[in-house]
Formats: sequence, C-alpha cells, structure tokens
Amino acid sequence: MRTLAKITLASVSALTITAFAAQAEDYKIGLSNGWVGSEWRTQMIDEAKAAAEAWGEKGVEVEVVVQSANVDVPGQIAHVRNFISQGVDAIIINPNSPTAFDPVFAQAKEAGILVISTDAEVSSPDAIYVGIDQKTWAMESAKWLAETLEGEGKVVAINGVSGHPANEMRVSGYREVFEGYDGIEIVNEVNANWDQAQGQQAMQNLLATYPDIDGVWVQDGMAAGAWRSIMDAGKVEDIAATGEIRKDFIDLWVENDFTSGASVNPPGVMASALNVAVLMLQGKELKEAADKGQYGNAMYLPIPFIDGDNVEDVAGELDGKPGYYSFTSALSIEDAEALFN
Amino acid sequence: MTQASFFPGGSQAARGLLARFPFMPALLILIALIVLNGVFEPNSLSYRAIRGLVSTYLALMLLAVAQTYVVYAADIDLSIGAILSLVNVSVIVLLDIFGGSPAMVLLACVAGVGIGALCGLVNGLVVAGLRLQAIVATFATSILFTGLALYVLPVAGTPAPAAFWRTYGGSFFGVPFVFAAAVVTAIVLYLLARARLITQLLAVGDDAQAAFQSGLPVTAIRIKGYVLCGVFAALAALCVTGDTASGDPLVGGKMVLNSVAAVVLGGTALSGGFGSVVGSVIGALIIGLISSLVFFVGTPSEWQNLVQGLAILIALMVGVLVGRKDKS
Repeated sequence: MRTLAKITLASVSALTITAFAAQAEDYKIGLSNGWVGSEWRTQMIDEAKAAAEAWGEKGVEVEVVVQSANVDVPGQIAHVRNFISQGVDAIIINPNSPTAFDPVFAQAKEAGILVISTDAEVSSPDAIYVGIDQKTWAMESAKWLAETLEGEGKVVAINGVSGHPANEMRVSGYREVFEGYDGIEIVNEVNANWDQAQGQQAMQNLLATYPDIDGVWVQDGMAAGAWRSIMDAGKVEDIAATGEIRKDFIDLWVENDFTSGASVNPPGVMASALNVAVLMLQGKELKEAADKGQYGNAMYLPIPFIDGDNVEDVAGELDGKPGYYSFTSALSIEDAEALFN
Repeated sequence: MTQASFFPGGSQAARGLLARFPFMPALLILIALIVLNGVFEPNSLSYRAIRGLVSTYLALMLLAVAQTYVVYAADIDLSIGAILSLVNVSVIVLLDIFGGSPAMVLLACVAGVGIGALCGLVNGLVVAGLRLQAIVATFATSILFTGLALYVLPVAGTPAPAAFWRTYGGSFFGVPFVFAAAVVTAIVLYLLARARLITQLLAVGDDAQAAFQSGLPVTAIRIKGYVLCGVFAALAALCVTGDTASGDPLVGGKMVLNSVAAVVLGGTALSGGFGSVVGSVIGALIIGLISSLVFFVGTPSEWQNLVQGLAILIALMVGVLVGRKDKS
C-alpha cells in the first residue's frame, strides 16, 4: 500500500513539475484501460506512471493522462476520442476488443497520434502491439510441465474464458507442445473463466474424476485455486502443476515446496510500451520493425519464467510487497533504446 | 419556458410543462454537462469531437429508445444487449459469407433488423404470452441470445467490409452520415410518438387492468412493444457495427444497464405509463458526457469508476427531485 501511495505521490509531483517546466522535449501520453477487475491492471497503470516519471532524469518530460474504468467497447472508443480531443502525442491502450478499434485508431493516426496496444493484440494497421506473445507464454509453461513429467503422464488443462482471443492463443500453444510428446495425454480441458473460486472447483471435480493425473496445466488467475484443491486432496507430492506470479501464491509455493512453474505475463508491459512510445515520438527507428503476430503489427517482449530453481529469489524480490502484487519486469529506458537504431 | 420554473415552487404552468415534456430536467442536466465539458476541455465542443460523440453514442441512444418502448408498458428488457450482440455478429458473418457489395450490405442490414424483431417476438411471447416476470424472463433470454451469438461468431473479430464503416464514418454532400442518421431517427420517433401502438403501450403501463377492461388487447400490445424494442436494438447494433467495423459476440452485454439508466435519467417512469423517448436519447448522451467529464476534470484513475457512478446517481436524484417538486 505504501508503495502505491509513493508511486501516486511521485506521479502527482511529476505532473506538477511538468506543468511548470518549459522543456524542449515534452510529450503527453494517454493511457486507456477498459477493465478494472484485478490488481494486475492497477499495477500495470502504476508502473507505467512510474516509467513516465523516470524520463524526467533524461530531460524528457512525459505527462500521462489516464482513463481507467469498467467500460463497454463503445465506452473505450470514447476514451480514444477524448484523447484525440485533448491532443495527446500517443495513446497506449489495453483494449477490450481485438478488432473494434480499427476505425477510431485510423482517426487517431490521421490526427498524428501514435497508438500502441499492450497486453492484447489489435488488428488495426494503424497501431502496433508491444507486449508478450500469449501463445509463447503458454508454450513455455507447457514445455516445463512436459519436461518435469519426463514426457510421460496424464494431464488436464484449466483455461480462462472461451472465445477470448488470449485464451484461444494460449490453448493452441499448449496443445502444440503436448502433441510433440508421445507419452503426454490430455485427458480433459475445462474453462474456469480466470476466476480463483471456479478454478478451485474445477480442480476438485477433475481430481474426483481422474484420481491418477500427473500434471495440471492451469492459467494464471486460477492456479492458486487449483493448488488449494491439490493441497486439500493431499496430492502436493504427486502432481506437477503450473503456477502464477502473485506474491501470495509465490509464498504458498515456497512454503509447501510445490512442483510448479510459471510463465510471467508482467504488469510492466504497459511501462515497456510507454518507453517504446517515447522513443518513437523522438523519431527513432526500430531496428526490427514491429511486424510479428497474426496481425503483422506486433513487437514481442521477453517472457520471464519462474520454476523451482529461481522461486526463492523471486520470493525474496517480492518480500515486503502486498499479497496481490505481481512479479513484474519491464523494458528499462536503456533496454528499449537498444531496440532502436 | 424559463429555467426557474423547473425548480422548487414550480407554478401551475411549470407542472403542465413537465407533464408534456418529462425530459425537461434531463435537458437541463445535458446543457450543464455540455457547458462543463467545454470549460474543462474546449476541444470537446469542436465539430470533430461532437461528431465523434454522436457516432459513439448513437447506438446507446437507439438502445435507450428501444428500452423505453417496453418500459412504457411497465415491462423491461434485460436481453437488449444480447440482441444487439446477436445482430452485430449476424450482420458481420452474413457479409463475410456473401461479400460486401452495397446491395449485400443493405440486405444484411434488413436481415439484421429482422433478427432483432424475431428476438423481440420471442421476448414478447415469453413475457406477455406465458406471463413470466419480465425481469427474469428477459434475463434468461439474454443468456439464450448470447449463446446464439457465440455460436454464430465464437471469437471477436472478422472485419466489416469497408463499404459499411466508411459509410457510417463518412459524409454525404458535406453532411456526416451519423448526423443524417440522427435526424432521420428523430423524424421516425416523432411520427412513432403519434402512432396508436405507443398510446396503447402507455395505457397498458398506466393500468393494465383498466386497459384490459376497456377492451384493449393487452397481451398483443405488450408483444408488439417487445418487437418494436427488438427492431430498435437491431438498429443500435447496426450503429455499433458501423463504429467498430467488426463483430464481437459479447459487445452489448455491458450496455444493458446503461440503457435502463438512460431511460430513467430521461424522466420515464419504470412503473410504466409515463415518459418520452426524447428523454431517453438525452439520458444516453448524459451517460456519455459524464464519463468524458470525469476524465476532463482530471479525476485520478483509481477514482474514475467511483466518481462516474456518483455523478450518474446525482443526475438521477436531480431529475427525480425536480420532477417530484413540480408534480406535487
């Protein structure tokens, strides 16, 4: 909580300074977030604000304006239109829909505004995506699970919201990996809507139906719940399952010596996107154009991985943070500069 | 028509005015919001911004109008967002299969309106025909329609043909399409307001028993109200499709309660029998302008949801208080 307060204070003072300092280089960047249902999103915005403040040391004043509320798709389109009205230099958005923003992003581009989406890819040719590749995210932890089981065993999967683009990419990722191992058999796949309670219940049902499973591939937001069911069933020793990156789960992991591994989708993605945005606003050219992914406009960030080898270090790093705090990583200004000519 | 007459101590004339124009308090709130938006962000009154506002909120305006017609008869439709989603994905998928020629776009739109009317008919039969509670029955049909939408298009995506969204976002003879659409809608609403069905809906909402005893076919009237609601929800879906240029099976879900809020903000009574569609249109704009204002005044991001909720609550209270003072 204290960190949060500090970050807020710091960003407020940064804003005040911006108001008074007449810098040669100053940029106004709009951040739009269309869903406020988890602490992950709050942390994402706080980290982006802190990243903007860090530019002050380089003599670049970056002012961020934030719109963050639970909105429907038209409501988030209104976010973008408000930013256009305010005359921001760039918009960084965690979009509620992959495709619905094509027309409004085209208008933003016409107004000379740089648009970057993060956390979820968008189809617009007028925007780029800076974030992790959700498919690779799933493949990494699936590979870890298959290797941990030595390529042999029965596996179940617990997924998020059916029909959600990130979920579909993740599902195709783990399926592809498990197909590569002849001894791995997926005995069932269920949806628990990225909800801890539903994840816990799904795991209970799965354990009751298949008492002899060896591995569980479960997405973040539900892994803590799934592990609770595994603990209740007294199967911590017998089952390997993927984990997640919140501090309270990492503590549980270390305490009970889980056999777990977690791909990290860091809340720092928006901070990374902001650093990329500032460099692009400065007119720098990317070494490698953002042309990856299904829409050909993505730039993928590295995905950290937590397993038995480094979980103690991660726990140490998170020491003193609140339980809902997620392990994070972001491109520093220097990291981002290395991506540009 | 002076401002003072809408405040405490309203005269006989003011009372009469409010009965004739139930949307007056909402109109005052709307004007106040436009002024405040202009003060905090002068650009928000620019031609471009107003055009953006209309093209974003035309869908919610139409959805609020749709909701108004069932509320007139003291019913409610919680499936309105799911109807919108279903029409949105149906139109997109039809155009994806049969190509996006102008004639096809027109046909797909007609088909979309047909689907909306069918959904309304289902609601009407369930609520008025089977006599189930409207709030629960339409909640159930909303799950049904969402399921259908997910069947038609399982994942958000599939772009609309350029002809579709270029029309929606474009101009003809210098007049933006959305403005023309708004004017046409206004004329249709004006004509509809004099239609016999609307009077009958209001009569049913006022006192269903009395309406029945005076020989009105109450069940048929309520069913027609739901069909009309479905048609306007479908028109709202066409606007969403024009503004987003894609299909999303979940797009309308969060718009349902906004449509109800817009109806109430506009001075229409949820108990039926009293109200106006103009008020609902204004209510939809109020909701849109409040969320812009919350941002333009510089509310910290952690508080935006809370402040927006409070602002809508205050707008509701102002409307109710002014209305009550003047009616008493």
